[in-house]
Amino acid sequence: MMKKSLVWLVTALACSQVVAAETGVALKADQLRADTFSDAKVVGSVNKNDAVDILTKKGAWLQIKVAGKTGWVRLLTVKRNSAGGSNVAGVVGVATGRSGTGKVVSTTGIRGLSAEDLKTAQFNEAETKKLESYTVNAEEAKQFASSGGLSSRSYPYFTGSAQ
Amino acid sequence: MNKTLKQAMMLALCSSVAWSTASALDLKGVLKDAVNEQLGTSSKPEQTQATDSQANTSAQDKLANINWKNPSREDEIAVGRNVTGTILGAAPLVNDAALQQYVNKVGRWVASQSERADLPWHFGVIDSNDVNAFAAPGGYVLITKGLYLRLTSEAQLAGVLGHEIAHVVQKHHLKVMQKQALLDVGTSFLKDKISKNKLTQRAVSTGAEISARNLDKSAEFEADSMGTVLAARAGYDAYGLAEVLQDMETINNNDGSVALLFQTHPHPDDRLAQLSQVSGDQMDKISGGKTLETRLVKLK
Repeated sequence: MMKKSLVWLVTALACSQVVAAETGVALKADQLRADTFSDAKVVGSVNKNDAVDILTKKGAWLQIKVAGKTGWVRLLTVKRNSAGGSNVAGVVGVATGRSGTGKVVSTTGIRGLSAEDLKTAQFNEAETKKLESYTVNAEEAKQFASSGGLSSRSYPYFTGSAQ
Repeated sequence: MNKTLKQAMMLALCSSVAWSTASALDLKGVLKDAVNEQLGTSSKPEQTQATDSQANTSAQDKLANINWKNPSREDEIAVGRNVTGTILGAAPLVNDAALQQYVNKVGRWVASQSERADLPWHFGVIDSNDVNAFAAPGGYVLITKGLYLRLTSEAQLAGVLGHEIAHVVQKHHLKVMQKQALLDVGTSFLKDKISKNKLTQRAVSTGAEISARNLDKSAEFEADSMGTVLAARAGYDAYGLAEVLQDMETINNNDGSVALLFQTHPHPDDRLAQLSQVSGDQMDKISGGKTLETRLVKLK
């Protein structure tokens, strides 16, 4: 009896480590970089459709291992394999501290914005006026942008074809 | 009548909202209920109108005269204002003027990079723990406190707002509402100057059809793509929205209601894959953007 419990415990512990082995597939060919900069040293490459291991996440970068080589790619390079079960957080969740129950949003007891709420909601003129009172004009926004070192740049919309 | 109009608009809004990751909107149930209610109240629309408060009279007049076939800019704003005010009726603004002004500054700056910079853009954070954001026609954008709290940089906020701004620019919601109002109606029906109540009634009943078609996922993918570019144009790091989508993947929610959401909304996985596909190597050409982690206003 005792032994059986121990086996269960060991199994449970083993399962809790499974998140470390998150996998994904490369959505496009890319270079592996030594660090999380676009001009960091190239340490390898990944081909489209390559199966990869995802080791960790940092900002908009993922550290991956492919064909024995480890390096960083932008997060849009890799699609994480669907976790399937309840453990959707995976390594990315661990890296961001958001795995497990820490960030469950729609928990019973938390007042949410339900369909019923929206259906029965009445137009609120006072709140609408309040919302409109916070409106800023284009010039104010531009000054705000400048104070953060932001300047307008000219990029076309993406033109790639959808899947 | 105005109640049903609101309902019709709400349904249209819900049916194409992008961020319903953790909010459990039972669209089909709502639509069915709305249709049933509409059938039950359709004989006394004038009575409903008579109960409207005087304060709203002018706004309601505007609503009653919406040209659904070819809505003007003013029509669009009137519709959006009503939709927004109704959401605010369900969840008021977070009572934090500094936060609201901040979100307006970021949002307005991103909107200034769009083709509809001339709209009177309004942004607000609403007091709800759901992870969600709403765009309504005419330049109204709301983000929930639940989503805001997950953000870690101004670039991410810009990406989220960029997505919603793109919905407005492309008139995604307005088009759904127009379809609701006009589908199954026919041009002769329109020429007959039918009462707005009847038109609204039709709009509600076609809601079921929208539900059957499920969501227009391409509108969401388009908003992701455009929103990313709008944030980049505004000087932000281009990956803000992608980061938020990736964060959404990590929301651990075993609630049964999520099944419906993932059934009616593109999964963040798919949105990221689509963004990757559509952006191709164009993302790599965007460099030097700012993330501005420290400027992100914390909630009180």
